[in-house]
Amino acid sequence: MNAGTLKAQGLCKAYKDKEVLHNLDLTIEPGKIYGLIGRNGAGKTTLLGILTAQNTKNSGEVTYDGQPVWENQKALSDICFSRELQPTLFSGPNNLKVKHYLKSAAIYYPNWDLNYALRLMDEFKLESKKKISQLSKGQMSMVTILIALASRAPITILDEPAAGLDVVVRERFYQLLLEDFAQTGRTFIVSTHIIEEAASVFERVIILDEGRILENAETEELISQFRYVSGHEEVVDRVCNGLQVLSTQQMGRHKTVAVRGDMVKLEAALEADVDVSPMNLQNVFVALCGHGDAQ
Amino acid sequence: MRGTLNNQSLIYLQIARMLEDDILRGVYREEEQVPSTNELARGYNINPATAAKGINLLVADGILYKRRGIGMFVAKGAGETVKQKRKSTFYDGFVKPLVKEGASLELTGEELVSMIEQAIKEERV
Repeated sequence: MNAGTLKAQGLCKAYKDKEVLHNLDLTIEPGKIYGLIGRNGAGKTTLLGILTAQNTKNSGEVTYDGQPVWENQKALSDICFSRELQPTLFSGPNNLKVKHYLKSAAIYYPNWDLNYALRLMDEFKLESKKKISQLSKGQMSMVTILIALASRAPITILDEPAAGLDVVVRERFYQLLLEDFAQTGRTFIVSTHIIEEAASVFERVIILDEGRILENAETEELISQFRYVSGHEEVVDRVCNGLQVLSTQQMGRHKTVAVRGDMVKLEAALEADVDVSPMNLQNVFVALCGHGDAQ
Repeated sequence: MRGTLNNQSLIYLQIARMLEDDILRGVYREEEQVPSTNELARGYNINPATAAKGINLLVADGILYKRRGIGMFVAKGAGETVKQKRKSTFYDGFVKPLVKEGASLELTGEELVSMIEQAIKEERV
């Protein structure tokens, strides 16, 4: 499957006076699974909507294979954006029966794989005659996932596919995603708030914070730059001198800091009388985007 | 392969380590095929690129080698290579932390050595 490169340059978006994306640049290379993480209101869905020409922008450009995506039939049939279905919405797809919603997807996506869709229907035990609005939140997520996978689109974007799913189905979803990726090598962008269980699936992770791209990096490479260092405050301060300190927690003289730095300096910390422990992606995310909210 | 992934170290390093463990245990013998990138990805729900990174690490160390169009195989003398590799990190990874912990408990050198000798005796019983 030959996907092109999806590229955003200088993207700005405002809702009324409130700017939600600030001069944002992003490149999505073909053949990778990207994770998109960000806090509530960071602009994830807005960004995904603009990347797929389902939402307007105030300035900047989104291109696919060098061509603007807006009103570009070739680009739009190569890109599937499976939106999160909202239980509270009483318009749009919610009035459709599952089978009609799938039929519209079949028309929209030229690579639609009907057999695959039916297999997934069966696996998720979705009833085709039910209205979308009658589904539980978890079943809505299953419909989102089903459309994304069966679209077989070279670039497939899933917004919060894990929302409302129980842990067994979430694990099954990541399995299905990896199986399909192994077969097709198509590009996926997956946004999620359940970071840790998805971290190992993402080759690259994009961290969006307050409308800006904080990181677009290889997941493990990013994680390896961070450590917790804890111990006596004087020793911790000495060891962390020259490292970027992201957050600090103090209990009496005991101090724990989240630091980012190059490997050599981090290794040097191991020599001193402090505890140095690695982070996972969730820890990294909180350190970068917590802004001191969580204590 | 056995074991599960934890979030104490990077996943590709864990994959490499698990394969090494299995080579030491004789799960995979010399000239035998190890699981492919995709099999590892499926088995552990990880990105194939991450699994490939773990395998490539072992290729670089001469523990695995690639047979074009077939897959990855355990190199001749791989068990010995793994042991040598681990011996070289044993000092930094085990001995130094042991001495450091001993020092913070104010154990003398003699006490530490006698504890080690005691442990060696118990291991042999």
